[in-house]
Amino acid sequence: MRFLSTDMKDRNMLFAAITTNQPIRSKCSRLPDLHDFFPTNISQNFAITPNLDITPTPERIAGVTIVLQIEEYLGQNESEQGAVNLARTVLGARHRNGETWQGILEDIRAGGGMDNFIQNLPGAYPETPLDQFAIIPIIDLHVGNFYLSFTNEVLYMLLTVVLVVFLFFVVTKKGGGKSVPNAWQSLVELIYDFVLNLVNEQIGGLSGNVKQKFFPRISVTFTFSLFRNPQGMIPFSFTVTSHFLITLALSFSIFIGITIVGFQRHGLHFFSFLLPAGVPLPLAPFLVLLELISYCFRALSLGIRLFANMMAGHSLVKILSGFAWTMLFLNNIFYFIGDLGPLFIVLALTGLELGVAISQAHVSTISICIYLNDATNLHQNESFHN
Amino acid sequence: MLEGAKLIGAGAATIALAGAAVGIGNVFSSLIHSVARNPSLAKQLFGYAILGFALTEAIALFALMMAFLILFVF
Repeated sequence: MRFLSTDMKDRNMLFAAITTNQPIRSKCSRLPDLHDFFPTNISQNFAITPNLDITPTPERIAGVTIVLQIEEYLGQNESEQGAVNLARTVLGARHRNGETWQGILEDIRAGGGMDNFIQNLPGAYPETPLDQFAIIPIIDLHVGNFYLSFTNEVLYMLLTVVLVVFLFFVVTKKGGGKSVPNAWQSLVELIYDFVLNLVNEQIGGLSGNVKQKFFPRISVTFTFSLFRNPQGMIPFSFTVTSHFLITLALSFSIFIGITIVGFQRHGLHFFSFLLPAGVPLPLAPFLVLLELISYCFRALSLGIRLFANMMAGHSLVKILSGFAWTMLFLNNIFYFIGDLGPLFIVLALTGLELGVAISQAHVSTISICIYLNDATNLHQNESFHN
Repeated sequence: MLEGAKLIGAGAATIALAGAAVGIGNVFSSLIHSVARNPSLAKQLFGYAILGFALTEAIALFALMMAFLILFVF
């Protein structure tokens, strides 16, 4: 949407005329439709009929400058409909309340130009379901060219680590470690047993003692995911794993680690991983290529699976709870169904999301175990393949 | 024009959900078949089914991710 319907040439002429304090009459065939932008007052100042004699007063110049700046902003940002509508209502209202265009222009300039002004308007951007994933710096920190701010993401990660470490510490050392466990100790034992069973089940194969070596790493991954994913379900909190920055960093580091483990154990023989046994020779090149792609794609799929699950779930809950909130205040004929139905759906969905959060921790741990098993045992112990 | 094309593209990206629906249905139908044949394995099979469900669901979420990419990135 363009507020000024004149073409570029006329606009430039208008601008030139204003800045040089010349009468516009002879230069501009058609004046911009200013009443599009400021519906009432300004259209009295600027008539829309062609060939009108306008002497540029400072006030008019300020008004036109604002319009031109807004149009410039629009040219740079195609789809900022909400921001523009807001700027229009806000600026128009301010003018109708008796502020001069000059005053408003000064205000905009003091705030750092039109771009900043529009972007800083409260609610300039309509709230989207994705707003909850915004990373907000709590302590700004720049070291050289690096941006090392303490963000809400870091805060919640630290919170998770502190929570897990505290729980495990309390249970195992101080006042814990009893032969008859209390509730907290059984919880931790449950988690430990669960991961241990998982690792024993998935990584065993021909070399039996591998599982012990990597168990702590897998256990930490699982415990961290397990505590961090449901944490995001607390209203107004932040989901760390809904950022693929985090999940991909995790999955890539694990992928690289697993590849290193593979080379360490098998040396160059690890490349035989790319060629399953008993393949006819003519097929070999294609199969090697396919296996290589599927092997590398594991790093991506591991991270993206977790990220997509978290993000999709949280957006869905947000969208539906927005819907339920609207429906709650809808006093219509469907009073009971329409009002409370969506609320219960949101409730059920929250339960589902909690389940997804826990099962994703489980699934990513199983995937890591499978990949590790492949790297250590080289296809000898066939299990799931993904 | 571009905005409209984006919306159409994002809508088209959800067609992929048909495949995910078939996949999830397949997982659980297989679970029911298997448990009907050998009820004593029900607990173990349910674990596998949940794993299969989560993996299939993740594929569906790739489609959602494509829709988001189309809508918000380009």
